[in-house]
Amino acid sequence: MAEEEESSLLVVIVDVNPIWWGKMRIQDENDLKFTQCMESILVYVNSHLMMHRSNKVAIIASHTNSSCFLYPTATPTTEEEEDFLRDGKYEHFAKIDDTIFKEVKKLMTAHTAELHIDTLLTGSLAMALCYIHRLEKECIAGEKLKPRILVIKASDDSASQYMDFMNIIFTAQKQNILIDACVLDKDSGLLQQACDITGGIYLKIPQRTGLLQYLLVSSENIFCAFSPICSTCHTAFKIKGAPTLKKKKKKSAAVVSIM
Amino acid sequence: MDDENEKTYIWEGDYERTWEAIKEDETGSLQTVVDDILHRTKRRRLLDRPANVRLGMLLEHFLEEYFDHNPISQVGILTTSNKRANRLTELGGNPKRHIAALQKCVDKQCLKEPSLQNALELAATTLRHVPGHASREVLVILGSLTTCDPGNIHDTIKSMKDLNIRCSVIGLSADVRVCKRLCSETQGSYSVILDEPHFKEVLLEHIKPPLATASTESSLIRMGFPQHQLHAEKDKLEKPSMCMCHLDSKSTQGFSTGGYFCPQCKSKYCELPIECKACGLTLVSAPHLARSFHHLFPLESFQEIQLSDLQESDSRVCLSCLSEFKDKTVYRCARCLNLFCIDCELFIHDSLHTCPGCTSTRPKML
Repeated sequence: MAEEEESSLLVVIVDVNPIWWGKMRIQDENDLKFTQCMESILVYVNSHLMMHRSNKVAIIASHTNSSCFLYPTATPTTEEEEDFLRDGKYEHFAKIDDTIFKEVKKLMTAHTAELHIDTLLTGSLAMALCYIHRLEKECIAGEKLKPRILVIKASDDSASQYMDFMNIIFTAQKQNILIDACVLDKDSGLLQQACDITGGIYLKIPQRTGLLQYLLVSSENIFCAFSPICSTCHTAFKIKGAPTLKKKKKKSAAVVSIM
Repeated sequence: MDDENEKTYIWEGDYERTWEAIKEDETGSLQTVVDDILHRTKRRRLLDRPANVRLGMLLEHFLEEYFDHNPISQVGILTTSNKRANRLTELGGNPKRHIAALQKCVDKQCLKEPSLQNALELAATTLRHVPGHASREVLVILGSLTTCDPGNIHDTIKSMKDLNIRCSVIGLSADVRVCKRLCSETQGSYSVILDEPHFKEVLLEHIKPPLATASTESSLIRMGFPQHQLHAEKDKLEKPSMCMCHLDSKSTQGFSTGGYFCPQCKSKYCELPIECKACGLTLVSAPHLARSFHHLFPLESFQEIQLSDLQESDSRVCLSCLSEFKDKTVYRCARCLNLFCIDCELFIHDSLHTCPGCTSTRPKML
């Protein structure tokens, strides 16, 4: 019996609001810098790709006036650009790192328009859903795609987009797409609702410099489907009674602390 | 010639030369043959059952889609058979309850004639008390060509019209005059299905809310947003109590500590949306209300543009899914001027109701 191929698609939405990141820089020199944040995300994305050979990622930057894909990009990289292969890094990772680096640079230098303190998260989420929708359609028979969206958010909610935001959340719920949120600053009411409705995890980070650890711990070790045996260390869990949805969450949290 | 014979209609095939099948057996009696025919009809009913199940599945799909698009609406299911009309589920906003009830009647057999009049009367008594700002609709899915009614159905049609109830009928077999009249009198739509995909299409058309008529009251509605309280919290101990929605039922369902509490009179309910039975306040949840907004502010349809007509400066990939344009037509949002592929266009209008391009750009300040 052929095993069903199941790949996981992770879409990371990063808040790149320059005002918020600039403010952080002024307030505290030692706090998380934007470059560090991007580095953490790269490590996280690479580790996600390492979990399974068919895992996929997409990264979307959410700016104050626009949203754009950092990876994959609309324009395919030309041959001459492929000089990142020199340092012996795994080709796929190097390509992702390089593309994201270039795109962020392009985005940051290109923006001269009027800036706002809030970020247009809704547009990025809409793009993420469309992208997931496309990949799900492209799936060949027997292949299953498990989509997940991770939002890393720093600046304020954009209140004017409430209605659109809710439309998107209900679509995500209907399509069985989890939305996890990692909030760096103030609590976001919108994202709390989003996570609650889609069944994702909402996390407000108490210590920003530890972003990478939070990302890795909270997301990678969650067992999306309940399994009585740990997929990493093959420990059989003790199950008390029938596992309900609530217990599942507790259980995975407990496992995280053991590991 | 053989081919032509096979091409006859299914129903003709069934009744063709039935007399030839009847032959006397050794004892000269017809009994065995009659038994055999009866047996075969019974078997056919068994074989037909998957079709019945499929109808149920389509209905379940319809209910799910309906509540996804109209979360503050309510649905009740009535069945009619054996000249009677029965209430399968009360008006309610919880799709799971309706689907569970539908799944229970998969094994139920359709006995004798249905009664359109009885079903309509029952629907009218249910819908009569719905407040004036809401739309009242009846959707009849009718397989039978006959109806067994106790009185004059035209009086019922007239009373439906007076009550402002819009009646639509989906016929599963053939055009029926009474149904046609019912629909035209009450501004409903009448359709007879061709096959299963067509049935699905016709059924899903009924998801969209009807246009508001002039007689619909437009009034401000007082609404309450009750908070869901799960189990007894430590600071405010909530004693287990009956919820108001199951007060009349004899079962133990609805007896718990958690629930939605009316902010005005503190009556408890186990599902939203609902009208408070004690103080009459409409109770909804905020996300549900937001979900039904897209009917009020629908997304404008995108312009169709031929791929060959694109300007040099235009993008050659879809904004939201990054796929390269391969089809001859692409779609452009009239507001943000971004280009989309056909798949995204359908997805955006069918479920997102939000243009990814417009939401990622700030509206120009005037």
